[in-house]
Amino acid sequence: MAVIDTPLGVSEHPGVEHEEAVRPSRWRGKLGVWIPAGLVVLIVAACFLAPLVFDLPKPIGGDVLDSYLPTGSPGHPLGTDGNGNDTLSRVLYGGRASLLIAVTVNLLGLLVGGTLGALSGQIGGAVDTTIMRLLDVLIAFPSLVLTLAVAQAPGPSMRNTILALAFFSIPAFARVARAAVLRLRSLPFMAAAELCGTPRWRVLFRHLAPNIAPQVITFGMLGMGIVIIIEGALSFLGLGVPRPNPSWGNMIADGQQSLSATPGLVLWPSLALLITVLSFNLLGENLRVRWSGR
Amino acid sequence: MTVTTAAPRPRVSRGPALAHSPVLRLVVKRLLMAIPILLGVTALAFWVLSLIPGNAAQQLLGPEATPEQVHQLEQQLGLDKPGIVRYLDWLKGAVHGDFGKSLVSGQPVSELLPGRLAVTGELVFLAFFVSLAVAIPVALLAARRPNGVVDRLSMMIGTAGLSVANYVLALVLVLIFAVGLGWLPAIGYEPLSSGLWANLKTMILPSAAIGIPLFCFYGRFLRSDLVDQMQGEDYITTAQAKGLGPWQVLVRHAFRNSSFGLITVVGLNLGTLIGGTVIIEQIFALPGLGQLLLQSINTRDFVVVLAAVVIFAVVAVLANLIVDLLYAVLDPRIRYGSH
Repeated sequence: MAVIDTPLGVSEHPGVEHEEAVRPSRWRGKLGVWIPAGLVVLIVAACFLAPLVFDLPKPIGGDVLDSYLPTGSPGHPLGTDGNGNDTLSRVLYGGRASLLIAVTVNLLGLLVGGTLGALSGQIGGAVDTTIMRLLDVLIAFPSLVLTLAVAQAPGPSMRNTILALAFFSIPAFARVARAAVLRLRSLPFMAAAELCGTPRWRVLFRHLAPNIAPQVITFGMLGMGIVIIIEGALSFLGLGVPRPNPSWGNMIADGQQSLSATPGLVLWPSLALLITVLSFNLLGENLRVRWSGR
Repeated sequence: MTVTTAAPRPRVSRGPALAHSPVLRLVVKRLLMAIPILLGVTALAFWVLSLIPGNAAQQLLGPEATPEQVHQLEQQLGLDKPGIVRYLDWLKGAVHGDFGKSLVSGQPVSELLPGRLAVTGELVFLAFFVSLAVAIPVALLAARRPNGVVDRLSMMIGTAGLSVANYVLALVLVLIFAVGLGWLPAIGYEPLSSGLWANLKTMILPSAAIGIPLFCFYGRFLRSDLVDQMQGEDYITTAQAKGLGPWQVLVRHAFRNSSFGLITVVGLNLGTLIGGTVIIEQIFALPGLGQLLLQSINTRDFVVVLAAVVIFAVVAVLANLIVDLLYAVLDPRIRYGSH
């Protein structure tokens, strides 16, 4: 938005036409959003509906006699793990945990961090400095220490994992929202709203929020991928979703021990992780391209 | 920006101008602001550690120890004092440059950390160096012909690489290069003193696991920035009108401008990157800072944890400062310290 600050508001860069040139054609832009969106829906449906519709073996409490069955065994299309649990079922149930955690963490980050950052940017001055420096402490803090503590103090659980991860998504969302608000602050419509005597909360929710929504939501989509990966990392270190309940992270970590003998145990959850994160990233990226083109 | 110079005087040398430059004031201001951040970070770390049940004495003696033994060791280590006293004691030492001794090994932290820091530093440096060395030429090639073959291919690889978790990538690399081909060791670490190649052999896979996603990230970022510059900026048109060749315009003009954006992203990334080494050090059994941090949390060795936290925090604060500085330097529309 270089246009705004030039004297007399004269545009130096009629950038719109240029952007038009690099933008993919209309149907390709649409496909770029709809294909990953469809994949996300498919993954969510597979994790949450498939176990209800199809008669899958339970993800835990398998028979040890069935351990390490290869891929393609009767009744176990992706084989079984060391405890005889069905891998397909564990991948689907593990996906539930990953998706639930990612959605909750990002919603918390979006609501708390987004509001905080937007407010901070809107008010400015000492309030802004205070909020941002407090968030700097969280950003500078090695997240592992906090997550380990939160996970160890009352024992690992999904709720504790969500809380620990939310602590780190809040400053990230706050930064994105604040940067977006700062860019808007000098625009004429802000001055107009102020001149009309619009109350601050109304400016925030009715004027700023819709304008920064594209940036914040795009960041949220990328954040979904990030949180799914970090949750996996936590489970990898023995935190996160407590065993024997499956999560993609702890499945990968467990499979690591027999990596050369049964690579499938690492491969399937890794593939699920990759496709899910890829879909969210593509969705976020293509939404960004579409929205910024407008 | 508030101007502090009262009397107007001719600026002969660059010295006085620099001394009054808003950038320098920003640096000083932000460095002063880093102090409360570091205080906050260490206090938070200390408080968080005190929330974990058990202390270093119990962890050292194990579950078999009698309460008397635990109590004795607690007194010996000074763990019987209240938390705030212990934190202030630690802080007093730290301000004087004495970060204390490890509760578990009794080693001074100043001896324990440098070796660990060297391993993590090497890991981060290799990952950074390799990823940038590959990302820049690839991005230039891709931006030369947007939507061309190189561009499409690098975009696809970049998107896929960004979505791979580094621990998954690490395992895949181990599966291919250690288990399958047997070229490189799966785990372990050789110090530089046992030879450069021996050292590099143990570092290639870990730094690749960190560097490949980084390469994808930087490459994609630089590519889209370059394309934006090439298509929207007047100075590019000027350079083209002068009759410069496409490569010269791209490398000498567009890349110069885009490189600032890249530096910004690299700086912002540094903090997260160092945090990300923890899991890679765990997978490859590298004796780095992350591994030390993880061990010290498990043994409740708060002295070592605090020292490690300070290092992580200093890196993150400095990286943040540099990024903010670059914003101010590069974009005169963003001014700090004035409202």
